[in-house]
Amino acid sequence: MNWNAALEFARGPFFYAALIIFIGGMTYRFVRVLLLGWKPDKVPGKGSKLGGVLISYLKGFFIWPFIPWVKNTFTRNPLIYLAGGLFHLSLFIVLILGTAHMLVWKSLLGFGWPTLPLPIVDWMAAAGIAAMIALAINRLIHPVLKLLTGASEWLNLLFVFLPMTTGYILTHHLFFPYEMGFTIHMLTVNILLIWIPFSRIAHFMFYFFSRTIHGAQFGKRAVTP
Amino acid sequence: MPEKTIAEELRGRGISRREFLKLSGILAGAAGLMEAPIHALAKPINPVERVIQALQTKQRAPVIWLEFQDCAGCTEAISRSQAPTLVDLVLNTLTIEYHETLSAAAGFQAEEAKQAAMKKYAGAYVLVVEGSIPTGDGGVYCTVGGRTAVDLLQEAAAGAAAIIATGNCASFGGIPKANPNPTTAHSVMALVKDKPIINIPGCPAIPEVTAGVIVNYVLFGVPELDSLKRPVAFYGNTIHDRCLRRPFYEAGKFADSFDGVGARQGWCLYKLGCKGPTTYNACATIKWDAGLSFPVQSGHPCLGCSQPDFWDGGGFYQGQSAPLSRPALAAAAAAVGIGAAVGIGAAVINRSQKTHPAVEMAEAPDAKEAK
Repeated sequence: MNWNAALEFARGPFFYAALIIFIGGMTYRFVRVLLLGWKPDKVPGKGSKLGGVLISYLKGFFIWPFIPWVKNTFTRNPLIYLAGGLFHLSLFIVLILGTAHMLVWKSLLGFGWPTLPLPIVDWMAAAGIAAMIALAINRLIHPVLKLLTGASEWLNLLFVFLPMTTGYILTHHLFFPYEMGFTIHMLTVNILLIWIPFSRIAHFMFYFFSRTIHGAQFGKRAVTP
Repeated sequence: MPEKTIAEELRGRGISRREFLKLSGILAGAAGLMEAPIHALAKPINPVERVIQALQTKQRAPVIWLEFQDCAGCTEAISRSQAPTLVDLVLNTLTIEYHETLSAAAGFQAEEAKQAAMKKYAGAYVLVVEGSIPTGDGGVYCTVGGRTAVDLLQEAAAGAAAIIATGNCASFGGIPKANPNPTTAHSVMALVKDKPIINIPGCPAIPEVTAGVIVNYVLFGVPELDSLKRPVAFYGNTIHDRCLRRPFYEAGKFADSFDGVGARQGWCLYKLGCKGPTTYNACATIKWDAGLSFPVQSGHPCLGCSQPDFWDGGGFYQGQSAPLSRPALAAAAAAVGIGAAVGIGAAVINRSQKTHPAVEMAEAPDAKEAK
């Protein structure tokens, strides 16, 4: 098989189509949530809504990731908290501060930025993959989580796991010739891009909705945690 | 065909035993032979001995060299081959019967000589092709002596023992085939299906590789080829595999510009668009100009000139991880528009189906009773 032609397809028209579907799909989800509407606020608030939102974001970004023991999520199930946190951190570092990925952003946005040395990105990627495996095992054995896990949850895990592993294999030139590894990586990335808008992975957008709404509610009732 | 074996030819010209062994050594190296037996249990055969054996049994091979949509760069390159030199090739292992750039004869005489050679050595000559073959508009974009390139290729290929396609144009279509391919250019292997074909891509092909493959073919037949019909001995590794800047890649030290600190320190050229990781060629080991240097060594990223469609494989100075094209603003805007329209439509339908809360309350007991 000629991997050169396959790579050209995966980097060219297929990626283009996947990106367009991603943009269209995310817009659709965004509009749907936006048009769910906002309940009319008929009761005068006890505190400032804006203040609540600000504090909610500050806590979300700075306190809960770094001083986790203030949260029940951590004390009740430290594995989910640590593995989940590590996974997200690794994802951000690899996708934004990895050199190869920065070049993708640069080609799409038109500007680039300094990146981290490869060994650091590499260890983060390995940690992220390990965290994903831990989370998958947890899903298999946790009695409650087992009940909540359906096909789409497993597909979420799989579609994120594949690009991460193939990317790691590609960077280290393991198992496959480079162009073959590159092709497989791009194919899995394209599948993920198409999958995101129609799955819960779209939570990276809804995170901001829920944080804003909860913050506003807390602020209004002057019960900001 | 010359009656004498190559060894006899050489002896007839007064070549000493010492010179003969030296030549055998050069040829063994050039042909990319390794000291490896075919069977694991057999005693390894010294590559030089293999060459000596072949020289004593094989005859000089007649070569017909055709040029189509090319720049004669591959010919220029092979004339600078260091080991074996073109002189070595012409005097020792080959008889070049027809070559438009190198031959002294021209015009109808040269064409007649070619016809005579093709008749005389039918089924035995090696056909070397340089340049791509246009088929658009009846092939009028490239003609020699009033005949189209397709016609000439088919005629010459019919009587060839094997075809060696040198350079990216003959191997994969090269620059003439680049988008939008105005002449409908094709590679040799796209047009000739019934002959053994060896591709030696590159822009130009590395002279030592062209010469080595020709020698290898004459002495030992078609060498081991990869899926793109390239000899594994020369195209078995990527530029990246053998790159002298590889340690900087592993350490994540990349040159950001051509005149920055990284460039002066000799760091990896990945960010400047190097295509080394997906390019199979021998540049990093054989190098150019008698092993003086090669593009990456002298500070320029690899363009990937030994790969199919390298001219359309993304910008030369754009990192290889970048997608081949970015969506136009209009396409992205259209995607946003369609997404938004579908979202709004779905929301409107949902709202119109929603009953009034008061009605819901009233209906609730009925629903329970129905159950």
